[in-house]
Amino acid sequence: MRARAIFLSTAGSIAVLFLGIEIGNAVAAPPTTSGTGSTNSSGSTSGGSSGSASSGGTSSTGSGALKDGSYSGDEAQTPFGPVQVKVTVSGGKITNVAPLELTTYGGRSVQISNYAAPIIRSEVLKAQSVNVSNISGATYTTEAYLSSMQSALDKAKA
Amino acid sequence: MTHVFETMGTVVSIQPAIRIAEIEAVFADYDSRFSLYRADSEISRIADGSLLLTDASAELRDAYSRSIEWRSLTGGAFTPHRPDGVIDLSGIVKALAIAAAGQLLDASGDWIVNAGGDVLTSGHPTTVGIVDPSDRTQLLTSIRLDGSRRAVATSGSAERGDHIWGRGEFTQVTVVADSIIDADVLATAIIAGGVDTLNAATSKWDIDVLAIDLEGNLFATPGFTAAIADSLAH
Repeated sequence: MRARAIFLSTAGSIAVLFLGIEIGNAVAAPPTTSGTGSTNSSGSTSGGSSGSASSGGTSSTGSGALKDGSYSGDEAQTPFGPVQVKVTVSGGKITNVAPLELTTYGGRSVQISNYAAPIIRSEVLKAQSVNVSNISGATYTTEAYLSSMQSALDKAKA
Repeated sequence: MTHVFETMGTVVSIQPAIRIAEIEAVFADYDSRFSLYRADSEISRIADGSLLLTDASAELRDAYSRSIEWRSLTGGAFTPHRPDGVIDLSGIVKALAIAAAGQLLDASGDWIVNAGGDVLTSGHPTTVGIVDPSDRTQLLTSIRLDGSRRAVATSGSAERGDHIWGRGEFTQVTVVADSIIDADVLATAIIAGGVDTLNAATSKWDIDVLAIDLEGNLFATPGFTAAIADSLAH
């Protein structure tokens, strides 16, 4: 359930952004939402964008293939301020989605894409057997240290 | 060479074994001032009413005001107040001591301080293992610090001494940050505040997080996942 809760909250944020993109593209936009937003089609290709997930699988529907170019979505309100993204279409597919501006909080830029998402345990477990210099874990007691992996590492380097 | 010593009810390892006496003194000073396990500590005297907070040392008042600031920043998930009203600064004191030890070691080449499972490095690339909370003799995974991050802190829901009262959503949370104070406080806050605090923290701060829920499901920020993958290459 927890996995789902986090996923949904993340998906919710992404959905907001993509709604903006869809409107900006005017692709498959229902009539009720047509005319909203400021589409800014520059026709330029993407350059220098970073920090945002690219999107596969957003295929065109109905009659229109996506036209190549760069499109700005509507501004979306988030708890940390307004967010606006630019999507780049190349060869009829979305090749990049980049934030036009990152919000700031306490003077630091905020990565809207930094949510913790579910990861597959088997992927994580592959990384068990590498050489580690130190071990991080919840604070152990003095007694528990004696049987800890950190203790073994410390002995090895003593 | 590694130097190992006991303090604050846990064990600290320093690599290499340099400035040992000064570092041990730093931890001993924090412990004698902030330990609620010592009846004669300054924090215990505040708890029993024999010392007013306003009359406390500058060090204690500074740690308290930092904790209050963190309480505000984390929406109350991190707090220096126990439910019974006692001021308990153990959630930040170990990190303050690690940071102070790090200042002593800076400009001494590559070094690592590991205090009870919280790791601060000089900023050189290194690989850090993460304990499996369901079997603490095993690693869950490991991450490569590429030199851009210095601190890794892990908090658990059943953690000794740190008095975390939480919503019980995560059993273990690891935070990677530039500062050991950020890492340690936010790991504690996410354990206490659950998913809401996790999502707020990853948005507000430049951190990477691995969280494990009660069913053993894992959640990681993109940077943490990349650091796991990077550890496989080293």
